[in-house]
Amino acid sequence: MIGADRIRVTIVVPMPPAEAFEVFTRDVDLWWRRGPRFRFSRLGGAVLRFEEVPERRLVSDPGDGGPPFVVGRVIAWERGARLAFEWRLPNFSPDEVTEVEVLFEPWGEGTRLTLEHRGLGALRPDHPARHGQQGGAFTSAMALWWGEAVSGLRAFAAGG
Amino acid sequence: MAQPAASLGRAFAALAEPTRRGVIALLRRKPRSAGELARALHASPPALSRHLRVLREAGLIREAPLPGDARVHVYQLRPEPFAALRSWLDDVEAFWTDQLTAFREYAERRRQRPGGGK
Repeated sequence: MIGADRIRVTIVVPMPPAEAFEVFTRDVDLWWRRGPRFRFSRLGGAVLRFEEVPERRLVSDPGDGGPPFVVGRVIAWERGARLAFEWRLPNFSPDEVTEVEVLFEPWGEGTRLTLEHRGLGALRPDHPARHGQQGGAFTSAMALWWGEAVSGLRAFAAGG
Repeated sequence: MAQPAASLGRAFAALAEPTRRGVIALLRRKPRSAGELARALHASPPALSRHLRVLREAGLIREAPLPGDARVHVYQLRPEPFAALRSWLDDVEAFWTDQLTAFREYAERRRQRPGGGK
């Protein structure tokens, strides 16, 4: 589903919200899919983690001694309820930041997760990354994805 | 990718402008002449003409004779880029669906493992 400049995906997991939040954040590298389509390095071998020092942020560590890539700062860290963080790709410029928010809500004996990726209007339509030459399919797809132009496109596409 | 990224990029860039999105919205319903579009969108004919050229070059619209009256030319949508855009947006959504599915599978395995949960 996509709105003005956001996309939303929902899923239910069989554990209470506090545990789901803990596993989602602590084990992010264990459950996050592997390979260049899903990871932040060309080879897809980097390690993902939420750091707490010096500030909370999501980083991708290349694991070869090189500096980590900062995906984004954590904006909200409400255990068992809500997680929000900035989302950048390596080819974004410093002012191009989008935001991912994950809500954890009680759902029977489990948790319903709602992930929303928004703020896509921050990406400029003339961004060179939109040509998608810098990485795998993941990078090119994400880099192409900027805001106002996306507005209503899915509706156009669905009807047209 | 259903289509080379650069081509989609051109379509997105063309659609980043409100008047041009207005043109697309109107043409979704039926083909229209440049004059009709200019009036509906409160745009001057020269300005609208420039917008139509950008949309045409991006491959989003085409000009064709009005069926039944070849003297009148109308603009209509080309379906191909919209199919490509839909396919691309589906790819992007699939990225997050894949990730959350991976998280659910991980959570389920963890619950089943002795000592992995309560």
